Amino acid sequence: MAGKAGATPTTYAPSPTTQKTKSLVFKNDDVDWVRPDKRGFQQCRPAFFRTGAVNAASGSAYAEFGNTKVIVSVFGPRESKKAMMYSDVGRLNCNVSYTTFATPIRGQGSDHKEFSSMLHKSLEGAIILETFPKTTVDVFALILESGGSDLPVVISCASVALADAGIMMYDLVASVSVSCIGKNLIIDPILEEESCQDGSLMITCMPSRYEVTQLTVTGEWSAPKISEGVQLCLDACSKLAKIMRSCLKESASSLEE
Amino acid sequence: MGLPNVSGDFSSEMDVDAFRRLFPLRFYERHLVESIRPDARPLGRARDTTLALGAVTSTDGSALAKIGLTTMLAAIKMEVMTPSIETPDEGCIAIDFHMPPICSPLVRPGRPAEAEPVVSKQLCDTILSSGMINMKELSLISGKAAWMAYLDIYCLDADGALFDAALLSAVAAFSHLQIPVVSMNDDGRVVIISEEHQEGKDPVNKEKRKLTLSSIPFSLTSILHKKYILADPTAEEESIMDTLVTVVLDSSGRLVSLYKPGGTVLAYTSAIQDCIALTRQRVKELRNILDEAVSGMEVD
Amino acid sequence: MVGLSLGEKHFIQGGIAQDLRCDGRKRLTYRPIYVETGVIPQANGSARVRMGATDVIASVKAELGKPNPFQPDKGKVSIFVDCSPTAAPTFEGRGGEELSTELSAALHRCLLGGKSGAGAGIDLSSLVVVEGKICWDLYIDGLVVSSDGNLLDALGAAIKAALSNTGIPRVSVAASAPGDDEPEVDISDEEFLQFDTSGVPVIVTLTKVGKHYIVDATTEEESQMSSAVSISINRQGHICGLTKRGGAGVDPSIILDMISVAKHVSEQLLNQLDSEIAAAEAVNEES
Repeated sequence: MAGKAGATPTTYAPSPTTQKTKSLVFKNDDVDWVRPDKRGFQQCRPAFFRTGAVNAASGSAYAEFGNTKVIVSVFGPRESKKAMMYSDVGRLNCNVSYTTFATPIRGQGSDHKEFSSMLHKSLEGAIILETFPKTTVDVFALILESGGSDLPVVISCASVALADAGIMMYDLVASVSVSCIGKNLIIDPILEEESCQDGSLMITCMPSRYEVTQLTVTGEWSAPKISEGVQLCLDACSKLAKIMRSCLKESASSLEE
Repeated sequence: MGLPNVSGDFSSEMDVDAFRRLFPLRFYERHLVESIRPDARPLGRARDTTLALGAVTSTDGSALAKIGLTTMLAAIKMEVMTPSIETPDEGCIAIDFHMPPICSPLVRPGRPAEAEPVVSKQLCDTILSSGMINMKELSLISGKAAWMAYLDIYCLDADGALFDAALLSAVAAFSHLQIPVVSMNDDGRVVIISEEHQEGKDPVNKEKRKLTLSSIPFSLTSILHKKYILADPTAEEESIMDTLVTVVLDSSGRLVSLYKPGGTVLAYTSAIQDCIALTRQRVKELRNILDEAVSGMEVD
Repeated sequence: MVGLSLGEKHFIQGGIAQDLRCDGRKRLTYRPIYVETGVIPQANGSARVRMGATDVIASVKAELGKPNPFQPDKGKVSIFVDCSPTAAPTFEGRGGEELSTELSAALHRCLLGGKSGAGAGIDLSSLVVVEGKICWDLYIDGLVVSSDGNLLDALGAAIKAALSNTGIPRVSVAASAPGDDEPEVDISDEEFLQFDTSGVPVIVTLTKVGKHYIVDATTEEESQMSSAVSISINRQGHICGLTKRGGAGVDPSIILDMISVAKHVSEQLLNQLDSEIAAAEAVNEES
């Protein structure tokens, strides 16, 4: 809605196009370069989770990894849409969207169909759908600010929100991605690193059961490199799950008091 | 009371929560007689309000406002446009209000909430008509370039009084706004001057980094029910009693807008005046909260 | 939805466990692959691939466009898959939409590599005409005509065949001032550049049924899967993309094992596909 009558004029962001100089920093194949936020290659950003961010929902969680900030709300189990056929297991419905100001260039804030289906695939194997037959659980995510590794953060945050809503799961779902830049594997990449990566690998897993629910790879990888990346992600996932678990324990113990 | 007194017979032997769900109106009226609300507030008091500035770092200005449980996130992104021929030395503001599916069980993806366009229009009208922002301050180079401020407000948690919270977050986002320093490059495009390579370019807007906000609008929504006036309703209250009055006053106490969208209660002017009086008090509170948040930012 | 009785389900699962599937194949054998190229005369390249009852068509259309300002030295490729309602009743209306987006995203991931363009099966820098100003935009459309499982592998093969059938017109650029944003171009309608498809990977989908994995699953077999992994592999044996379908969790070591099996299978598939494509092209030239 334009603030003034008449057609909205076309606008552009005044941010300089420094894309080129940035990619030069990363392009070196040697191990000398430093990550923009001074982290080690195999060091994740500090993760922060908090449950109960949205009171109107059955369960919710807020997650912040560096500049990546997301909120996930879980509604239900509630009545499935009228048009749905009978089902003796529950349904899972996922939706991921960005705010208009999440990305450096102002976007449209529309739904992200690919992320929505990836979120669905990552979670459905972990949720005990048999516990809520005929009904639907809705998992809605909103990315407030995109700072890289958005999908892994959404997935981990969603599993905390599901636990907060009391939806039965086999295990928490943790997700981590690595980027391949030159010869190096860097974990939990930020936006600048993602924009010039040669390849990426994302793992979603249930750490206590040591099972992978989702794995995607882009870019060119040799087989040993894949197993290296997988191992790196799995280790980070089990560390992440510890943080998620302690967040849930905290909120549960504060409820008891 | 209008209804036959059916519920009264059960109330003594029924669980409070069950009574609240089955006879919400009677539940409320019993409280109102005692001049108290279920959340222990007196009728005229608004819920606890907090403001946090700079919640989103990727924007030029942002604020998170909470009134009770209702949470609003407002953020401003500045872009450059060519001003229209009629107003060559004025910028522009585009205001949008969003209710994403995370905020309420009533909103589903792909089906925008009913309240969304209503609040959006109200915000737009209020902010532009209050004269809070001088559009001339958004000008960069007369006739050539001016700022377009995109203000997007997201409702993160909906628990009544959406407009009040949205307006508060919007106003706070404008007071947090830091306009980037820009210069004109050789292609005639306006670009941000980064600190590393200044290249001796003269910034176009060295002095105009902050907007001067004159007469800031603040609002209070109240519910009219019978002879009672309930300030700052929750979502539950809004769903049970349907006559809302929203009063917007500016910081010097002038009436900016008054909005009563129908409803079953036909208000006497005295009731409206009471609403305005309540708003006048609330404006003082809100001004303090805003001032505190802004001065807290300056200390950092 | 496939309606199978309990007996049929056991028959499929038991057969797979004994390395003898319902149609007589072994676990790692593909159905015969038929390739036809040049099926759509209006397109720059097209191909039809059939594997059993699965039937897909891919077409490539090239148009001149402007490169992305962030990647001035690269052309653009967009992939879109459409599931025709004739293929399955569930595709009617908006039913096929979800599958379409999923397939498009998977193909995009498998063929176009990372964000910087490394590992892309399609060499994007060969699509540039004038750096930063003019490039070719390739629109790759896939159409599922009939579906009997293993759509992703079939679509991947069809796109590979369509690309090797693609001729991109030679473009000569008229000399112009350096600051000119839209230099004049002359598109030749006689000379065509052949597209190099040696780097285009094949996609191998391994479907896990019980403890074993099979390639080229039919719809009936797919209904019994616990999870499936689609891996795209190029001539060098490098993995160019990987997607997992099906929500069930899998032990990481099994995934790594699946990758090595897929690598082995891909060599045969690549050879078979290349000879089929060459044969199809030869037929085209004769007629």
